Amino acid sequence: MIRFYFFLSLLALIAVPEKTLAHGANIEYRQTAAITIEAKYDDGTPMANAQVVVYAPSDRATPWLKGTTDESGNFTFVPDTKPENIGDWDVKVRQSGHGDITSIPLSEGENVADTQLASGGRGYTSAQKAIMAAAGIWGFIGTALYFSRSKSSKLD
Amino acid sequence: MNKVRIFAYAIALGSLVVSGFAQENATKTIAAATEEGTLTLVANGEDFVRQGFVSKDGWQISFDHLYVNIADAVAYSTEASFEPQKGDTKESIEYQNKANFNISEIPDLAAGEADAEPIVVAQANVPTGFYNALAWQLSPADPGSPIAGNTIALQGQATKDGETINFDLGFNQPAEYVCGEFVGEDRQGVVAADTPGKVEATFHFDHIFGDADTPPEDALNQDALGFQPLADLASNGTVQLNEADMALQLSEADYQTLTEAIAGLGHVGEGHCVVTDSQ
Repeated sequence: MIRFYFFLSLLALIAVPEKTLAHGANIEYRQTAAITIEAKYDDGTPMANAQVVVYAPSDRATPWLKGTTDESGNFTFVPDTKPENIGDWDVKVRQSGHGDITSIPLSEGENVADTQLASGGRGYTSAQKAIMAAAGIWGFIGTALYFSRSKSSKLD
Repeated sequence: MNKVRIFAYAIALGSLVVSGFAQENATKTIAAATEEGTLTLVANGEDFVRQGFVSKDGWQISFDHLYVNIADAVAYSTEASFEPQKGDTKESIEYQNKANFNISEIPDLAAGEADAEPIVVAQANVPTGFYNALAWQLSPADPGSPIAGNTIALQGQATKDGETINFDLGFNQPAEYVCGEFVGEDRQGVVAADTPGKVEATFHFDHIFGDADTPPEDALNQDALGFQPLADLASNGTVQLNEADMALQLSEADYQTLTEAIAGLGHVGEGHCVVTDSQ
């Protein structure tokens, strides 16, 4: 009996939903590979609150991101790691008639590099072309032999 | 025998199909490689030249003519940004395309109205791409030119406290500017088949005279000559000097300041260049 009450109590504890607080806070996180730039004038003074424009490799004419540096001249962004955006990311910083632009090479692991080559619109490799050609020819041979055998059977 | 014939036909047909694909791919590659657009080289003295400005020592400067004899201008398209200030050189540049400009006239940066566009110096048909590096020289103009023997000539008026001085200053030190990408509001240098691009040689003349709108302690004004040392050389409201005159008549420190300011004129928008003596 005691066991029964214990089991019932446990069930009730599990079944009743936890009370939700109206002013509760929630933090979620995800790990990313971010890029941080530090912009300074020639004399070492940080370029604080300077205009930042980021260009992705896939479209070098259109800004991918705009923002401003912080008080220390720092600016952080998380680049898009789609295959078409593996390459040089250009970051421009301007303030009061002064400016600079630099390239940041972005490379992922071997898998990403392979994906880029395969989907980068560069065409097929020689080995791929050879395999495709062989498969095509074999298909024609098979088709030809099939019809040839059917014709022979009818003649028989 | 019949099977052998069919086998041969199959191989021939398959080869035709495969070669057809290959031909199509080759044609696409050629089409992409030969696509061209227009790249324009412009020279820009910015609003300082078009609208005038007040020097760091209070002279209102306005220009009638401002000639810069640009020569051997070349634009490059490179995969990564070209950064001469971080050690990239013309010799080490790995470019995809290169555009040589044929320059026939000496641009006058003061031409046009106060809101005029930058001066078109030359145009070239180039393979499409992103031209993000630019190099040019300032060389002495040929005899017979309005600025014969000079690389830069400044002609205009300076006014302060009711006094007006007409100035005509000629500089003859050749220099080569090696620059990366234009740095400004918009990105320049992108050439597509249906959209022309441009590259810009920008000249910051506030580096010579300073700028009253900039704090005196700013590096711009600290490194600038101002106009007063030149005004002190005026006679009857006119100061007409060539390089040799200025070397002789200015103090050694002032002439050194002026020489360095002249060398630092060339930019690409707000982007700095590496300057070398092209002699």
